[in-house]
Amino acid sequence: MNATAITTTTQPHFSSSRSAAAESSSNSQLHNLIPAKLKLDKQNNRCSLSVKCIPNRGIRIPSALALTAAEAPPSKATEMVADKIKRLVLEFKSLAEPIDRVKRLLHYAARLPPDNVSAREPESRVQGCSTQVWVEAEMDEAGRIRFRADSDSEISKGFCSCLIWMLDGAEAGDVLAVETHDLQDVNVGVYGKVNSRVNTWHNVLLAMQRKAQALVTERKQGIRGTCQ
Amino acid sequence: MMLTVEGVTVKLPYYSFPILRSPVRRATLNSRPFSVTASTLKEGHSETPSAPPTSISLGHLTRPDFPILHQEVNGSRLVYLDNGATSQKPTAVLKALQTYYECHNSNVHRGIHYLSAKATEEYELARKKVSNFINASDSREIVFTRNATEAINLVAYSWGLQNIKPNDEIILTVAEHHSAIVPWQFVAQKTGAVLKYVELNEHEVPDVDKLKDMLSRKTKLVVVHHVSNVLGSVLPIKDIVLCAHDVGAKVLVDACQSVPHMVVDVQNLNADFLVASSHKMCGPTGVGFLYGKSDILSAMPPFLGGGEMISDVFYDHSTYQEPPSRFEAGTPAIGEAIGLGAAIDYLSGLGMQRIHDYEMFLGKYLYESLQSVPNIRIYGPAPSEHIFRAALCSFNVENIHPTDLATFLDQQHGVAIRSGHHCAQPLHRQLGVSASARASLHFYNTVEDVDDLIRALNDTVSFFNSFK
Repeated sequence: MNATAITTTTQPHFSSSRSAAAESSSNSQLHNLIPAKLKLDKQNNRCSLSVKCIPNRGIRIPSALALTAAEAPPSKATEMVADKIKRLVLEFKSLAEPIDRVKRLLHYAARLPPDNVSAREPESRVQGCSTQVWVEAEMDEAGRIRFRADSDSEISKGFCSCLIWMLDGAEAGDVLAVETHDLQDVNVGVYGKVNSRVNTWHNVLLAMQRKAQALVTERKQGIRGTCQ
Repeated sequence: MMLTVEGVTVKLPYYSFPILRSPVRRATLNSRPFSVTASTLKEGHSETPSAPPTSISLGHLTRPDFPILHQEVNGSRLVYLDNGATSQKPTAVLKALQTYYECHNSNVHRGIHYLSAKATEEYELARKKVSNFINASDSREIVFTRNATEAINLVAYSWGLQNIKPNDEIILTVAEHHSAIVPWQFVAQKTGAVLKYVELNEHEVPDVDKLKDMLSRKTKLVVVHHVSNVLGSVLPIKDIVLCAHDVGAKVLVDACQSVPHMVVDVQNLNADFLVASSHKMCGPTGVGFLYGKSDILSAMPPFLGGGEMISDVFYDHSTYQEPPSRFEAGTPAIGEAIGLGAAIDYLSGLGMQRIHDYEMFLGKYLYESLQSVPNIRIYGPAPSEHIFRAALCSFNVENIHPTDLATFLDQQHGVAIRSGHHCAQPLHRQLGVSASARASLHFYNTVEDVDDLIRALNDTVSFFNSFK
């Protein structure tokens, strides 16, 4: 899919002002998570992108993040997260060439809102990454965890984009249920379950889980607020 | 200028011990005898890079000794340019490890049986080799540690806590490796001492004049690198030691990036402590060493307690061995130390001056080649007639994260470089960046390796720029 059409408006990926009702409405969730600039143009069967689309060397790969609401799995949050992981793993496993996995990550990196300055606070910094990654989390009124992330590395942004696609809007229990080894086949450069400062998947996922856990604890204590 | 002699670099199948080859064979290829000079480098000053000393470059000559280099990574020829992080191991070292475990494995300084005696002999011979390699006056001045980091911690916890008092000053440079900073932060926190940092001058080299100005009677210790792992710059250690001693301060030299690449003579430098790491000098991981002057080591209390370091143990106290045993509690990394000894034999066989000359040539070629990459910034001093820099370059390309560069270089081109802060965050802050990419060479690298890097880097930059 070599797209050329440009969509200039970018729908905010993450907004604390979105109503819980809107977030939880059954089939709209995935659709909302796809920025306008990446939505599929079904009529033309083309992908509208604001960046150059990367050819995938003839491999037909299901693009997990590009799914429309109609293609979305069942609405139950638990199934959503598990299914998304499967889709993502399938997608990256299908990319035989390492460079294609890099390209795919860059493709997804473009989905993160640019220069999300509020997320680049020192308290939001993910410890243990070789690049700088910032993650923020908060719990909405429906008890779902909303994530926002940024990085100074495009490839790390791609990791963040995928993780947010999987976990944003999920319930805390579902976020915490994800195992780092679930993502081992999605890795680029660092293989398997390696716990390393260069394993961005691992480190960002763990940071998201820590924040989710902290939000749960806060809510239990009757304190509702933002965890940074 | 390059000589295509890949014919010499036989593509080896996967390494297997039965086909271990001796580096002695190399002598027949070399028209010039191995030369090991006792002279030290004129630190901080350039020596004209000479062409490779023989018709076959040292890189091409030695590549067959490193089986790991002859493999494909991600579909491309491996180009290993991360020697600042760790070096590869020649067959001679692998063979020494295998021989030790096959023939001599036993605990040292324990049993009277044959194997223990043999292991002890080999282990102490390795100490002697290290001693000779850096020209220590006595092998008892060499303490085996796990690595250079442990060697610095040993000095910090033993000498530092005993000798440094409140308001004493420890002078470091902003370009020190974290392992030469953090232990002294511990000491400062425990003793009330003050850490003072020397910043960079306009040439992006730690300002030695300012360092000298900082020295006073309050100064108890100066901690400096010999060769910067980021800037590639070389500090005039002999000069610094002279000035530090004038005010009664001791000097600890982090020589991790110099000992593997040039002649280092501790008696000539006159440093009080010097540390280095085996794995950066073609030896195994898990072993490093501390050099300390005999009188200073003898006055230092133990760092770690346990077997081997004691003389007598009573219910409530113990007496301790003399150095170096006093500082080697527990069973040491015997095989690794012996492997380090084999690495030293290998390096000495090539000749450290020869290695240095070749790396100067190759390092200059790397620097000049990198300058051709658009929007690149290379950190540290530009090599010139007056400024010598080591064979490594840390750099950034505008608007591309170094880790993204390194990832693409690896995944698409099989080129291994390092990205990140290289354990030097204070230095990167001073340079105004959070991270950099680094290509660091060793004597087994070639002009073709550098050419491959440049080609791959240009492709990488084009790739990322196409996304903008």
